[in-house]
Amino acid sequence: MAKLAIQVDNISKLYQLGTIGTGSFKRDLHRWWSTSIRKQNDPFELNSTGENEAQASHIWALRQVNLDVAEGDVWGIVGGNGSGKSTLLKIISRIIRPTHGTVRGRGRLSSMLEVGTGFHQDLSGRENIYLSGYVLGMKRHEIRRRFDEIVEFSGIGQFVDTPVKRYSSGMYVRLAFAVAAHLDSDILIVDEVLAVGDAEFQKKCLNKMQEFTRTEGRTILFVSHNMQAVSQLCKHILWLKKGQMVASGPIQSILNQYSNQSQINQLSQNWHTPQEAPGNHWIRLKSIELIPQKEAEDSLVDVRTPLTLQFKFWVCQDQLRLLAGFQLMNQTGECVFDIMTPFTDCKRGLVEATCEIPGNFLNDGSYSISLIAYRNSWEDYFDYQNCLSFEVEDFRGEGMNFTGKWWGSVRPKFPLTLVHKPENQPLSLSL
Amino acid sequence: MDIKEKQFDWDWQTTSKTNWWQLDLREVWGYRNLLARLVRRDFLLSYQQTLLGPLWTLLQPLLTVFTYVLVFSKLVGISTGTVPPVLFYLTGTILWGLFNDVFTGTSTTFTTNADLFSKVYFPRLVMPFAFVSAQLLRLLVQLALLAAFLIFYSFRTDVTIHMNAWALALPGILIVVAILGLAGGLIFSVITAKYRDLMNIVPILMRILMYVTPVIYPMNIIPVKVRWILAINPMTPMFELFRYGLLGEGSFTSAQLVYSLVCTVVCLLVGLFLFNKQKDALMDIL
Repeated sequence: MAKLAIQVDNISKLYQLGTIGTGSFKRDLHRWWSTSIRKQNDPFELNSTGENEAQASHIWALRQVNLDVAEGDVWGIVGGNGSGKSTLLKIISRIIRPTHGTVRGRGRLSSMLEVGTGFHQDLSGRENIYLSGYVLGMKRHEIRRRFDEIVEFSGIGQFVDTPVKRYSSGMYVRLAFAVAAHLDSDILIVDEVLAVGDAEFQKKCLNKMQEFTRTEGRTILFVSHNMQAVSQLCKHILWLKKGQMVASGPIQSILNQYSNQSQINQLSQNWHTPQEAPGNHWIRLKSIELIPQKEAEDSLVDVRTPLTLQFKFWVCQDQLRLLAGFQLMNQTGECVFDIMTPFTDCKRGLVEATCEIPGNFLNDGSYSISLIAYRNSWEDYFDYQNCLSFEVEDFRGEGMNFTGKWWGSVRPKFPLTLVHKPENQPLSLSL
Repeated sequence: MDIKEKQFDWDWQTTSKTNWWQLDLREVWGYRNLLARLVRRDFLLSYQQTLLGPLWTLLQPLLTVFTYVLVFSKLVGISTGTVPPVLFYLTGTILWGLFNDVFTGTSTTFTTNADLFSKVYFPRLVMPFAFVSAQLLRLLVQLALLAAFLIFYSFRTDVTIHMNAWALALPGILIVVAILGLAGGLIFSVITAKYRDLMNIVPILMRILMYVTPVIYPMNIIPVKVRWILAINPMTPMFELFRYGLLGEGSFTSAQLVYSLVCTVVCLLVGLFLFNKQKDALMDIL
């Protein structure tokens, strides 16, 4: 068995929600009074057996995560938004402490959780290379030895003595990554920083990181939404969902599972009884379905296809003032639109909503749909994120031989024509 | 799992608890280059895009002294004994400025560095240490100003400056005052990170502290009845000693000096351990 570089042992992290500081001075006094003066139990102590866990004011960002990383391994950490990826990286980087569990490690660890850690806008590139290098844990001789390499890799050239606030954002990112890429540490932790920067530089970064592991045998933990980058770089994957481990192990098996669950079209979901359905004590989701109005049974959904979204709720209260809506997200997680019903008085039983999305409206790409329902006010709601996902294929009509990616969040077919307008005055421009 | 734990000796480990006594100053020393860079950054930044640049380090105490001389010496008429008012207020202002800047600057360690602290691990103590170092360096410039004034006055026949061997204690005095400021700043950095609104009491506290320290008045004009207020202030003997060494006027006893040193050590330890204990827990609320 290879030596371990990092051992994540049963890590959990509990966060307290709500505004910081409200009543906390009072609560601290209360705690101090109870524990120190009256020698009672801590009234706010977290119960490790889990009795207090369901409290609404707390959220488990991570629950019982285990991970053994052998030296020289490259691990990808994947999961949706809020799955606890960043929290895990921060705990391993020793920035925050876990609520339970232990992380052990061997060797020097550097983390790149953002672009330009320690950079200061008013300082020159040269100053920032040193400052950022030291903040990231480099030694003086390492920075000296690597300085020229860093400048060359970043391509900032003669701007090395210009304050970085005068840099273009691309130059800034390149310089920042260059510093981190030349860290001489045994373990490198990278969090989605590759999401910035131009495509060419992203490729260069990936190559640099690959070189890093292949030739120098360093350990890398890598978080990215970019599945392609993960599959190119990593041999092992840890998959997190809502703070819990879904799976971990060699890449191939996990990647298939992950793609099956999160990438493939899911056009409908339904539940047979309210007990098993997602929801809460006032509402349960019965079904949600996206119905493409396709011309033929086997044809694909493309930009011309009208879509119908239909969802049904069980109302579990005699009287309920309900508002329901859905958001359509594109593949980068941006909201394309957000549609809601007005507040409606509903009786116990089934309610249904239908929305028509016309053809020639969405651009091509992958989309997901999240559902939300509000009761009475804007505070009390139930949401079900990413309940459906689907692909919209491209379609170019006759006579349109432009083959590049069609721009835009949406691709409506508003009428736009060129019309010949006869002018009285003769065209006097001599061309 | 147990087998693995025994199988390797790990270089580092993170658990849920921060130990009170786990104060790893060797680790801080390993980051001394970062500290030096931060001091350098501080200097580069202070004087970028300013009109007078480093001159401000001199102008600030000069203008303050000018005001003090005008108000307290000319208008109110506080006697500074045989010492020329300018020298009296200059010594007080420079020493107080050190304490004030160190205290105020380090008391916001967590709030000003929240972004950095939440992105990268390094010994957090580097930040306040770097700040103190920068302030001490800045002080050297002000001491040069003080030396210039001393030389100027020593050539004048109408005043005599009784500088004596106690002037050799000068570096020690500066370090003690800086450490007192740092200790207070460390304690307040934890408090202000937890309860932001308490940041507002720092300036008020500094003003109160200034009036119970012999900055703008000599110890001997204070009625004996209320001298105890100044006596419990560990800074008092330092100010008196500073003036006695350089100007030949000031009152202190060796017991007071020992008291002051003991207070400084205790405050520093309290500040360091509190900071060290709370630094990780504070990351969750920053």
